[in-house]
Amino acid sequence: MNDTATETPKPEITDQTRPFWEAAREGRLVMQKCAACGTVNFPPKPWCIDCGCRDLPWTTVGPGGTVYSWTISRSVAMNWPGWTGQLPVVMALVDVDGGARTYAQVIDCAPEDIRTGLRLVVTMVPVGEDVFIPKFRPAA
Amino acid sequence: MKGRTAIVGVGRTPYSRARPGERRHTIDELIAWAADLALDHAGMSKTDFDGQGLAVAHAEAAHTVNWAAATAENLGLSPKALLRGDQGGASAAALLIRASAMIEAGIVDRFLVVGADTPLSIPSVAPGLPLSPERTRGVYWDFQGPFGIMGATAQFALAQRRYMEDCGITARQLARIAVTTRDHAVLNPAAIYRKPYTTEDYLASRMLSDPIRLFDCVPMVNGGLAYIVTSAETARSVAARPAYLLGHGEVTNFYAGPRSHPDITRTGFLQTGPEAFAMAGIGPRDVDVFLPYDDYPFVVMLQLEHYGFCGPGAGGHFVETTDLSFAGDLPLSTDGGQLSGGQPGGAIGGFMPLVEAVTQIRGEAEARQVRGAEIALASGFGGISYARNARSCVSIVLGAEGRSQ
Ligand SMILES: [Zn+2]
Repeated sequence: MNDTATETPKPEITDQTRPFWEAAREGRLVMQKCAACGTVNFPPKPWCIDCGCRDLPWTTVGPGGTVYSWTISRSVAMNWPGWTGQLPVVMALVDVDGGARTYAQVIDCAPEDIRTGLRLVVTMVPVGEDVFIPKFRPAA
Repeated sequence: MKGRTAIVGVGRTPYSRARPGERRHTIDELIAWAADLALDHAGMSKTDFDGQGLAVAHAEAAHTVNWAAATAENLGLSPKALLRGDQGGASAAALLIRASAMIEAGIVDRFLVVGADTPLSIPSVAPGLPLSPERTRGVYWDFQGPFGIMGATAQFALAQRRYMEDCGITARQLARIAVTTRDHAVLNPAAIYRKPYTTEDYLASRMLSDPIRLFDCVPMVNGGLAYIVTSAETARSVAARPAYLLGHGEVTNFYAGPRSHPDITRTGFLQTGPEAFAMAGIGPRDVDVFLPYDDYPFVVMLQLEHYGFCGPGAGGHFVETTDLSFAGDLPLSTDGGQLSGGQPGGAIGGFMPLVEAVTQIRGEAEARQVRGAEIALASGFGGISYARNARSCVSIVLGAEGRSQ
């Protein structure tokens, strides 16, 4: 539970999702790659969304990715004042190299510079005690 | 299933923006009010529904594990069959399919289908949390809100951007749809926003999450809606002009392409539109009035393409060259839709296309009546999946007597 309205939302870390957050703390982006068919599942799933296999080892993906689509959030729609200080927030759907598609914030990128197809690199950004969120910045 | 059941009554309460001084109705009050209107419209009474069916669309505020049963208790009904809709904006349309199947199976003869929500009155449970705790239970949420998605508008903006880029759709073309809904709202006393606006007004409206502007978004309202569906036999005995269920199609969690990298500009309507048309024995050209779920103009444009009113990617050109007014080539969202009519919560707005379809087929749409409206296509669209698009896509074809064989 988030105890203050001045922050951005934090994830609830569960036994199912802990490997993702532990890897993020170490600077790695991991997703569940199906042991049977190779489909990468994200966000975390209880079995492979393609073949139903429950063996989904966490696998390092990225660090590169490509913008599939993007938007620039110019107002805070859900009551998190913590986002206000970051507006405008550049958001993208990112196709992670060797992985699946994820929502992600693009940082160090002016709104006029974001575009579909832009190459990005993941970076883990702390958003609270011991919690790191994958964000992306334009590749050099 | 074609023509075996029909909607014989609809009800829609006045909508409220919950301004200071306005009475705040509870969800139960709104459900009862909408049901009362539908019963009156059908020439039926509450007592006709003991031992029959009750279907309740899940409201945002309904945090209970037995919402539909609690609604029966509050209405003093003793139904034999109880259904709960759990598909957001597709619930009303999906419940029509479920209820019709149970009527055809002979379990009951009729269903009262109700829904209401009060998004402007329920306090958020905590700053920043979506209104319903159930919404936060999905594992996906931890990879969405904390990642920077501040609401549905950002999610839809990502789908809209990709669609506009892939197909060369312009904001001016999307404005055609928004302006059409407003023009129709002007003609509908029940619509919440009735002041006309122009394409220039649309383009000048505030950007919320590029490319989604303020005038791309539905205004939230408090309100309730209901309809009554029954066997064709009963329908002929109670209603002068039943709206028969001629065809339907439904899919949830439709994928186009690889599941880790689907094409999010292709929706389940590509599948359920042809299914519904085939069952009804019609094609897009036979549709007299089109009532798509319209939470954003681009969602309407996608449906114009996916139902085959025009080719893939041709939606922008289509809306520029087609008269979408109630008197035009393809009457669209003749009640003003949700865009100008108001959305009584994301789960209940899905009743509106059905209610307007029946109103048009019965010839009761007054100033916005489509002449000779015999076939209506209505859709339900429920939610948005993670990094994708429509979660549930339901297609419904309704038709007048004489079109049901
Ligand atoms: Zn698999």
